[in-house]
This record gives sequence, C-alpha cells and structure tokens, in this order.
Amino acid sequence: MKKSNFGTVDQTEQQKSKLIHKLFRTREFSLLIVITLVFIVLAILKTDSFLKWKNFEAISNGMVFDLAIVSGMTIVLILWGIDLSVGSVLALTSVLTAMMLRGGVPIFLSVMLGLGAAAACGAVNGFLISRYRIAPFIVTLGMYSIARGLAVVLTSGYYLASLPKAFVTVGRSKLLGVPLSIIIIVLLLVVLGILLKHNRFFSQMYFVGNNPKAAELSGHDVKLVLFFGYVISSLMAGVAGILMTSRLAMGFSGFGQLAELRAIAAAVIGGASFSGGEGSIIGAALGVILLALINNGFVLLNGPPDWQQAVSGIILIVAVGVDAYRRRKERRE
Amino acid sequence: MMGKQPILSLEKITKAFASNTVLNEVSMNVYPGSIHAVIGENGAGKSTLMKIIGGIYTKDSGEICIDGKSVTYTSPSQAIAAGISIVHQELSIAENLSVAHNVFCNREPINAFGFIREKELNRKVAAIFLKLGVDIDPKDRTANLSVAQQQLVEIAKAVSQNSRLIIMDEPTSSLSDKEVDYLYSIVDGLKAEGISIIFISHKLNEVFRVSDCISVLRDGNMIGTKETSETDMNEIISMMVGRHIDDLFPPKSTKITDEVIMEVSGYTKHGMFENVNFSLKKGEILGFSGLVGAGRTEVARAIFGADPIDAGELQLHGQKVKIKYPKTAIAKGLCYLTEDRKLLGLFQTTPVKWNIVSASLRNFVSIFGFYKKAKINAQSIEYLKKLDIRPFNDEIQVINLSGGNQQKVLLAKWLSADPKVLIVDEPTRGVDVGAKSQIHNLLRELSEAGIGVIVISSEQPEILGLCDRVLVFCEGKITKDFGNTAVTQEDIMKYASGVSLAENRGEKE
Amino acid sequence: MNRIKTLPKKIGTHNLALITINVVLIVVMASISPYFLTGANIEVILMGFVLEGIMAIGMTFVIISGGIDLSVSSVLPFAAIITGFMLKAGWPPFVAIIITLISSVLVGFFNASLKNILNVHPFIATLATMLTLRGLALAISSGANLSGFPESFFFLGQGRALGIPFPICVFIILALVMGLLLKKHRYFRQIYFIGYDPQAAKVSGMKVERFFLFVFGLSSGLAGLAGVLAASQYGAAHISFGIGSELRVITAVVIGGTSIVRGGSGTMFGTVLGVLFMAIIYNALVMSGISTYWQDVVNGIMLLAAIFFVEFMKNREKAVN
Repeated sequence: MKKSNFGTVDQTEQQKSKLIHKLFRTREFSLLIVITLVFIVLAILKTDSFLKWKNFEAISNGMVFDLAIVSGMTIVLILWGIDLSVGSVLALTSVLTAMMLRGGVPIFLSVMLGLGAAAACGAVNGFLISRYRIAPFIVTLGMYSIARGLAVVLTSGYYLASLPKAFVTVGRSKLLGVPLSIIIIVLLLVVLGILLKHNRFFSQMYFVGNNPKAAELSGHDVKLVLFFGYVISSLMAGVAGILMTSRLAMGFSGFGQLAELRAIAAAVIGGASFSGGEGSIIGAALGVILLALINNGFVLLNGPPDWQQAVSGIILIVAVGVDAYRRRKERRE
Repeated sequence: MMGKQPILSLEKITKAFASNTVLNEVSMNVYPGSIHAVIGENGAGKSTLMKIIGGIYTKDSGEICIDGKSVTYTSPSQAIAAGISIVHQELSIAENLSVAHNVFCNREPINAFGFIREKELNRKVAAIFLKLGVDIDPKDRTANLSVAQQQLVEIAKAVSQNSRLIIMDEPTSSLSDKEVDYLYSIVDGLKAEGISIIFISHKLNEVFRVSDCISVLRDGNMIGTKETSETDMNEIISMMVGRHIDDLFPPKSTKITDEVIMEVSGYTKHGMFENVNFSLKKGEILGFSGLVGAGRTEVARAIFGADPIDAGELQLHGQKVKIKYPKTAIAKGLCYLTEDRKLLGLFQTTPVKWNIVSASLRNFVSIFGFYKKAKINAQSIEYLKKLDIRPFNDEIQVINLSGGNQQKVLLAKWLSADPKVLIVDEPTRGVDVGAKSQIHNLLRELSEAGIGVIVISSEQPEILGLCDRVLVFCEGKITKDFGNTAVTQEDIMKYASGVSLAENRGEKE
Repeated sequence: MNRIKTLPKKIGTHNLALITINVVLIVVMASISPYFLTGANIEVILMGFVLEGIMAIGMTFVIISGGIDLSVSSVLPFAAIITGFMLKAGWPPFVAIIITLISSVLVGFFNASLKNILNVHPFIATLATMLTLRGLALAISSGANLSGFPESFFFLGQGRALGIPFPICVFIILALVMGLLLKKHRYFRQIYFIGYDPQAAKVSGMKVERFFLFVFGLSSGLAGLAGVLAASQYGAAHISFGIGSELRVITAVVIGGTSIVRGGSGTMFGTVLGVLFMAIIYNALVMSGISTYWQDVVNGIMLLAAIFFVEFMKNREKAVN
C-alpha cells in the first residue's frame, strides 16, 4: 500500500484558517450581517422610535410565537418535508387548554394535556408520512383543516376568556426585566439547536433529509426519525399556542393564521431548503429576527399597513427564488 | 446480403464523457432487412452507441451515413425523421391512454381543427397490428396490458414512424420463454418487411438463434462483426473478453481457513434470485461474477436486509440470524458497500467527515447520545491518511471529490463500522488506476485480518486477479462455483451468459 | 345487455361510481326535503359553486399535467378588485375585463416560469404567489369594498341566457369546450404524456416547458374570469372573495378522479361530476348553518378520502393485471 503524505503541521494550520473562512461563508453569518445593516439603517432613520427599549420589547414579544413554530418547521424542512398544520395545531392547543382551565383542571395538567393534544396531531402526521409514505404536504394539509375545524367547532368561534390568574401571569411576567415567554422559547431553541448538532438521534435528521435511501442503507432509523420530526413540529406549535393563550388571556380558534407561511419564509431565509438536509435553528431564529425587523421598520416608516402582507409575500417569493437559483448553481458545479 | 448498400453505416464514432472515453472509433454497417446483434460486457459502450444512433447523445467525432448519405442530427425526433427509432429497455408508455394513442404518441391523425380522428387512428393501428401479427385491441387501455404486450406497442410505435431501422435494447429481459418466442416471430416479420433490427442482448443463445450477424464491442472498441452462420459461441466469447490482465493485483491469500464466517442457504426472491447457497470462509476473498441483472446485487441487498426475501437462512459465525433491516445487519457486523455510490452510498452535499461516520454514529457518542466530536475528527483524519483521500480536507462536501476519492470515502464509511463481513459492490467502478490498486490492497488486508470479503464485480480482471474463489451468477441462480480451481475469463463468460442454463433446458433450434 | 356491459369501459369505472354517488345523494336530499328538486333550489345549489366550478376546469389541466395551483384563490379577488378599480375609473367594462384576464394569465405564466426556470415545485411557487397576490389585492383596495359599477357590467353575473343564470352558462360552455378539447384535440392531449412522464415526453419531442406556461396560464386565466363574474354577481369587489376556494376546487377535481399523486390521468367529465357533488354537499353544509371552519374540516376530510380512493382504485387496477 502506498504510503500517503499525511498532513504536516503546515497543513493543519491551513485547515484551521480555512475553518474560519468557512464560518464567514455560512448562511448564518450573512444573515447576521444583513440584520446588523437593517438595524443600523433603522437606527439612523428613526432614532427616536426604533432605539427605545419599548420598541424592542414589542418586537421580541411578537417574535416569540414565530420562533417556536419556525424551529419545528426547520426540523421538518431538514427532513425533506413540510408541515402546513402548525397554525391550526396552535389554535387547537390554545382552545383545548383554555377549555380545561375554565373547567377547573389544574394548570399544570391543562398545559400537559394541551401539549399532549399537539403531540398527538404531530403523531398522526408523522405516522401517515413515515409509515404510509404519503406526501407531507397532503397529510399536513389535511391536518391543517381538521385541527382548525375542530378548534372552531369546540368554541363555536367564540373567545374563551376568564382564565385563572396564575396562568395568565406567566405570559406577561418578566424575569430580570426580560419577558418570561422569551426566556422559555430561547431556552427551548437552544436545547433544540444543541440536540440537532450534537445528538446522534437528532442529527440523523440531516442524513435522512439529505438522502433517505442512503440513510436507510447506512442503518439509520428513517421511519422513527421522520415520526419524531413531525411530533416535535406540532409540539412547538403547541408551546406557541399555550404561550399565546397565556399572553392574550384567552383561548381562540382563530390564532395562528398564516403562521405556517411566515415560518416557511423565515426558515428558508435562515438556510433551510425544500430539498431537505439543510437548515439550522440559529439560521431560522435569525430569519425570524430579520423578518420581524423588516416588519417593524415598515411600521415605523409609516409603510401603508395594507401593503404588509404583499411585502411578506414578495419576500417569500424572492427567498424561494434565490434559494432555488442557488441550488441550481450548486448542482451545475 | 453483403453486396447491398448498408442502410446504416457508422464510421469511426468516438464519444467521451469528461475524461472517460466510452466509444473509440467504432465502425459498423447494418444492412437492410437484417437482424444485427450487438453484444459486449457491461460498460462496453453498447448503450451509448445506440443512443448516438438514436439521437439522444451526440457523437464527438466520426460519421453516420444513412443509405450512403452522411447525416447529422441532434435530437431524437430528427433520428426518427431519418427512419431510426429505439425501443428502450425502460418502456415509455403512458398507462392511462389507449394503445392506439401510445402508438401514435402526439402524431395522431387530425382534422383541420386539430381534433383527433379517432376512427382513423384505430384503423391505422389495427392495420399495423395485423401486419405484425399482433393480437391487441387498439382501444384497450395500455395499463391493462402485460409487459410483453406493452413492448409490442412500442414496436408498433416504431413501425408507425415508418422506421427502417429499429433498435431494441435488451428486449427479452422481462419476458417469459413463450413471450420471447413470440417476440422473435414478430422480429422475423419485421425483417420480411425489409426493416432492419439492431438488438442488444446478453443472452448468447438467443443471439445465435435469431440474428444474421453479430458485432462485438469491448471497452469501447468494435472488435469485429461476424455472420452468425459463420461463427460459434466460443469465438464470440473470446472476442468479448480477450484482454490482458495488466493490473498488478495483491498476492492471493495464504490464510484461507476452513472456518466459515457466513453461510447463506436457500435464499430466494421470486423474480429476482432462486435458491442461492454459498459459504464465506475466513481468509478468502469471494467473488460474485455475472452480467448486469444476474441478481448479484439483489442477493447482496437481501442478505444486508435492505430488501425482503421469500425464503432463506443466514448464519453468521455459526449463529442463525434474521436480518430484516440494514440497521440489524450493521449491528451484527455485516456491511454492504452499494453499487451506486452517488445516490445510495454517500450523502453528496454533506462533508466528508460526516460521510465517514454516517454508518457508525453509535461508536462516537457518549451518554444520552451526544457526540464525542474529538473522536469523530480523529477517526476521520485517520481514514483520510490511511486511504490517501485527496484533497486532505474532511470539511468539504463529498460531491467535490473525484470518483476514486469518493469511493475511498465510501470504503472509509464502512470500515468505520467495524465490519466482520464486508460485501463490496463494484468497488472500483469509475476509479482511476492508482486508487484501484490501493483499494485492492486494502481489501486483501481486510481478508488477511480475518474479515470476510465478498467482491461483486463486472470487471473480469478484477474478479480473476483479486478473488480467491469465484461464484458465477446468471438469471438469479448461481451457475458455477469455481472453488479454488484456476479460472479463465472465457469460463466465467460461459456461465454468465446462460450457455449452461440453455444446455440444461435443451437448446431449441 | 352488451351496451350496458361496455358502459364501465366507455365512461370509466370511477365516473360510473361518481354518477351513482351523485344520484344517491340527490335522492337522499330530495327525500329529506321536497323543496330540494325545485328549479329555484337547483339554481341556488349550482350558483353556490359555479365560480369554483369554473376554476376547477383550469385546475383539472394543472393537476393532470402533474402540478397544482394554489394561487387561484388569490387570483379571484385580485381580478375582482382590479376590474372594480378600472370600472370605477370609468373604463368600459369590455376593456377592463380584457385587461383583467390578461393580467390573470400573466400570473399563471409567472407560476410556470418559477417551475420552468428555477425548478421550484408548483406547490411552493403557487403558495408564494397566492400569499403575494392576496397581499397586493389588500394593498390596492385597502381592504375596502369596491362598488358602484356601471349597469352594463351586471349582466355577466346576474343576467340570464335562456333562463339560465349567465355564470352557469359560462361554466357549461367552458366545460363542454374544454372537455372536448381535452378528449379529442391532439395539442391538448399531450397533457397526458407530459403529466405521466415529462422526461419521456421531452425526449419524444414535446415542448414541455411551453406547455406548462399554457396550463398555468389557463388556470389563472379562468380564476381571473371567476373574479370578474364575482364582481359582477355581487356588484362589489372585496378582498374576502374566494378565501379557501383553492381547497374546494382541488377537492372537486380530485373527487372527479384526477390523481394528484401522479400526473397523466383525469377527465373533464369526472371534474364536472366532482363539481356537482361538491355543489350539493356545500349547499347542504351552508343550509345547515355550520360555520365555515367546520366546512373546511369536512372539505379536508373529503379531499384526503378522495385521494386515498383514487390511489386505491389505481393500485387495484394494477394488481388485477
């Protein structure tokens, strides 16, 4: 066997600097730059209104729910799938939890059962997708209508208010000046992020989404991983639902409208791809932050409110288009 | 027949993909009304040649003449216009449409407004079927037809395009004996109409039965064309295989013991392979030889648990095991390196490092399943060194590596899984000479260290040079276990091309 | 007797089943309420789904070709609103309608181009377009209800021809013409090859990319037509028109037997039957006072059931052979 020229000290040094270069080229880094730029622009243009702590509080309060959902969506996208039901699961969880709270069920139990219901939705999705190989968009499209419909039927469309004070304060209380809900979500995201990058079971998702056939032949538990991915996505939607119920002090079947579309946009901006195998929690979070900043800028700059949705749509198209174009270029090379 | 002008004349056709020359100055003449067989081993270039004739690929150099006139075309529709059509191995039938619509795919007779004249369409198709002697209802839905019948629809399509030359790629691969007979009667009928047929086949007995002349391709070169009546199987076989073994292989094993590492009994999957029995001894490299579609990969996948079986037993180190999933196989030390490294073996857009550990993640975790990154890095670097993988960078995506290096990464992946039995499928396909040699030496090292090695290969020199014992597969059965006797390429080809099977069945004249 | 035996082959077993289901449905509804089969009620039933029906005609083409078009539910209000604007600005209805139709078709071209040039899956592409268009419509109209259209415009949505409401006439004519073209015209029939195996179709020389432009343009164009009719029917244009209609339209097409999982199969006759079925069901749902969300649930379940049924029948036919 030929003796190979393995790396000398010089080569490992070269590798180290290459790593730093690699860091610079990641999606997350570019996003950070863009966010910083937007931040600076807004700070200059609207110094008074933008830089107020109250403004940032408003931005982050608004972001909390999207952050929860986008992390689940990222996981599902990594798995080469999609979850259209997250908004509906959010609403269903909100409704069920509120109903139980009003019915006198202890807070802890209500929350657990609410999350359980969310997980059940995810389990149904995951089961149909992993076991029967039905296309994710069809399955989650079905759950989208069924979950939301159930929520409406249970409440006849009415708000469910008069929730126990203890429950409501959680959504509004602060810890050392930072809203509790933000702390909870950030913690969850950190945990998920660490699991995705450092835990064997979770990181399998990248393999499964990149090339399910090769993953199967490499001994990965493709079905189990897929199943769990969808359960997690719905669970995160459930978490968002409970937090929203607490913050707004009501259960409502109309919560979470268009949440899935915002989540898709943020996730794709954050580096996830519709062809699976790519994406990160950090990227997704940055995507949400960027969109929230742009939104905030829009409002502060007195952009016509009616144009908000149109702009979101255009951003989504551009994000999808650029992503597709980038992938095409990569494939060519 | 030889005196007439050829309908198709190929003059020094050359084609290369990237740096790989697939066809090297191939010349061939096809005469009107003749059935012309083109045969050769896997990778000889038959399929590429047909695609060039059919307009799917463009030649790099050389000349194509039809009826003596030089032609150039760049698309299949131009080839069809010139009178040439291909009946592919993978049929392109639209199942939901009627037979007639498939025959006249997008060329149905229409009236002034563009509406299809259904009655005229059915009439025309019925006429073609009548001429061919085919009994299919033009109005029938194609989904209701058997594969053999669908193939006849494709042939009718070629006839409807007024083709004077029809190329058939492995037409009998999915047909039963009776259907094969029927197909050949159709082919004779076409011949009687003055239509020429080129057909690619591996089955020598069929070739001899039906063809007027045989052209042999080997490694992209046209070795020669012979009148079928003036040659015999042995001559054709030696034309197919005759080449020098100029690669240096590692010395054969000195440590073959009688200890049986793996025993396969009665493995059967209907339609794929039947009653496969063999044992793998410690210290030997066992080779699976045979032609594409002979069932070697299917058997390997079944043993590995990637596909289910209808019957069979597996023993590893004397213990009976039931393997239903690749996960189980890997856990028991049985690893399979896939034939297709790009799509099934590697994660192309994932870094080299992660590919290397992708089948052995469990070896690199501590409690609760968290990675020991240092261990992964060390393992990855170790394999980069050991297998001389270039460039020396485990962070880049696998897709950026050359074929040979990708194959080495794939090997590293399976070595990292601590195999006790390693089945490698086409281990050096698309790999440069230097890397080939490294891989061969590595495989020999493994077998000497007591790991069972099975090599599936379509490259005869590799089988003969590397393996201690050779099993030959044909049509899903093991037709010969050569044991430790000296083997020649002709021997292998004989058992690979079904000659022995035909002898068993009693060759029909 | 033989004529009846060949009926399944001629019409297709799926369509036969659908006809039966529709007949049973009608009988059941009629027995529940004697009012059901009156002319007035039939008109209500059909008018309640006619716009979706028109969109379903275009959607049939898209799904047979192997794609999907979610943007129709946004093209409708978008078309209604820009028509409204032009009418209020004094433009002659004829001109306004033409411009609206052209704009709608251009949306379809955009969808097709995302697929052709950037290789974006139609689901994602039309999802993004749907969101954007609705946003644009909202932006242009500021959520207001546009009204005050010229008298001459109302004929389209409120007029009658031979006693039949004009929109229904439009649907019938479109279904007949498009159905005929789909069944018998060679250019249109390419859709079955392209939908089943686009690669093979390309190799056979069919201009696949151009065809997708045509198919998506048709779907969006018909959605635009539906928008124009809606504006005419209600005498108003509002952003809320057509919400949720993409789900209803797709369900009607899938119930009609068009496979959403793999392209290359489907008939206009089936779609018409599916539209009829949906019209009756939706009428029943609306009459019973069930909220729109509950309707969406039923719709979602019907869609899933229809998909399963269509695929199940396909597999059964394969197994039989």
